[in-house]
Amino acid sequence: MNQEAIQTKMRQRAKELLNSGAVTMVLGWEAGTFWYQSTPILIRQAEDADKLVWNDFCQNNLSKYLLDFRFTNEKIALFLKGCDSRAFNRLLQDKQIEREKTYIIGIPCEGMKDHRLAQSKNEGDDLPLAKICQSCRYPNPVIYDELLTEEVTPRQKIVDFSDVEAIEQMSADERYEFWQKEHTKCIRCYACRNVCPACNCRKCIFDQATSGWNSKDVNASENQFYAMTRAIHIAGRCIECGQCEYVCPANIPIMLMNKKLIKDIDLLFGDYDAGLSIEGQPPLGHFEKDDPEEFM
Amino acid sequence: MQILEKSKLDDFLQMLAKHQPVIVPTDVDGLSQYAPYQAQMTLLLDGKPTVSPKGIFLPQTEAIYRFKAQGKNLLIAEMENQQTPQVLFFVRHCDVQGIVCLDKVFMSPEYTDQQYAKKREITTIFALRCNGSKESCFCTSMGVDPEKANPAAADVEVYDLGDQFAFEALNERGEKVLSQAAELLSNQDNVILPPVPERKLQLKTEGLPEKLSTTFDAPIWNDFMFKCLGCGTCTYLCPTCHCFDINNKLRGEDGLKLRTWDSCMFDEYTLMAGGHQPRTGKKERIRNRFLHKLQYFYEKHQMFLCVGCGRCLTKCPMNIDISKFVQQVMKEESR
Repeated sequence: MNQEAIQTKMRQRAKELLNSGAVTMVLGWEAGTFWYQSTPILIRQAEDADKLVWNDFCQNNLSKYLLDFRFTNEKIALFLKGCDSRAFNRLLQDKQIEREKTYIIGIPCEGMKDHRLAQSKNEGDDLPLAKICQSCRYPNPVIYDELLTEEVTPRQKIVDFSDVEAIEQMSADERYEFWQKEHTKCIRCYACRNVCPACNCRKCIFDQATSGWNSKDVNASENQFYAMTRAIHIAGRCIECGQCEYVCPANIPIMLMNKKLIKDIDLLFGDYDAGLSIEGQPPLGHFEKDDPEEFM
Repeated sequence: MQILEKSKLDDFLQMLAKHQPVIVPTDVDGLSQYAPYQAQMTLLLDGKPTVSPKGIFLPQTEAIYRFKAQGKNLLIAEMENQQTPQVLFFVRHCDVQGIVCLDKVFMSPEYTDQQYAKKREITTIFALRCNGSKESCFCTSMGVDPEKANPAAADVEVYDLGDQFAFEALNERGEKVLSQAAELLSNQDNVILPPVPERKLQLKTEGLPEKLSTTFDAPIWNDFMFKCLGCGTCTYLCPTCHCFDINNKLRGEDGLKLRTWDSCMFDEYTLMAGGHQPRTGKKERIRNRFLHKLQYFYEKHQMFLCVGCGRCLTKCPMNIDISKFVQQVMKEESR
């Protein structure tokens, strides 16, 4: 099914769900200011459903918005791509959201386009898929009430860790220099944290300036402390949507660090992909007697 | 006007760099920004850097003073600030206007911020007139003149003539810096300046502050607040946002008093000592940011605190668009 047909169906389903009273709001994407932007929209009236779009730039992961509606009793319909659906499961597993209050319309996803490159191109020019989408293993929603189209073929079967391995092969000094350079660029806007569906602490330690854990001064050391704490906190919970990298205004390769942790988790606790199901617990969310503990 | 062949730009900058540090727009490890000039550096002469030049005058982190606690005594030591001159190159007119906005705040008749004022005093600013217009540029709607840099901040105007640059000193300070490389410059009268292209994005802003003064409780804020992430991208990339926080950094007996950027989009901003948060959510924060830029600042200084550079339009992860907001407010009847 082509994008336009999917879009037509999106609008139609949104209208039906709102008109029937099955849900009171629908979360989707609408056209952004420029052709390489789509932006989240919250629809309450059926006549607004025609604002919904489905195109190459519907990157934003809508699952995280459900946290804003934790304390309402309204039922929300939302459109989820493969990665977004893993995010949904993650939030469900953390008991942050309630399944009964949602209606998921899954969209098997052919991948989004590189929005940064797009800014230097003209509308209609050929664009590669966004980096994160090129290696997508789960383009099909893993949890849904209905699917909008037939499922698509995953673009990769196994995780490609070659970029992580390239960093691992550096000497400790080279590695330090690499990350030092990247984190010097960080402006500490916290967009990576705020967009992340694995970041759902009620109060983040980086929002407690008076606690003394982290200082507000922006330098390589404080920035690295932030970046690494963030990465470690989501170890075993990153669902590889790549939103952190997508939103970073400083172009820091944040997923590289997340992938290193995915690799380490796989190595220590066996292959694990966060958010595929809500059964069981994430590797760092429980313990087994034979867990590796070489540091003890 | 004084003409420089573009092929001689590097020689020109090197010559100036012998006299004082030179700061230029360039790409540093994948992030475009203003950085110290080094020979053979690739300069960003098309468009403007992602990071605005405000950090040159209001650094993201700045030490105000040192202190030492010894028993019951507290010793305070002033920081040694840079006293030597520097030159800031190729600042677009929108960003020049951004500096004028900062001047209103930090060098007001009521109070002069010494550290800010010192940096302004030692910095000669070369503005660069636009020879193009990005789809996100709307400077003309916000009172910026793309033909002429605001002389309240610019010292030299630079015109891009294709193969040459034309320099026009706007004051004595500018003339002095240009004279450091006089041998590379030739005088020419009647320089034909290329036309400045029309801004693609044009907004009606006449009467905007008055109109906004009646929108505090209007439903329009609900449409804009929902998708906000609450990150600091817009405020930190903005050439005019200037909120800061004062922090202590303690190491044993030694301490440092720091001024750091802060963002009104953060949870902790406006949080009071007793734990009360008067701005409870995204809506209140966005409303404050937009009204500060388009109404409150205008009422006080008769200029917008938005210069139409378009950074927030393209960099906001969720595409919250202040130009759309303005269009919507101007379109709607005051509610």
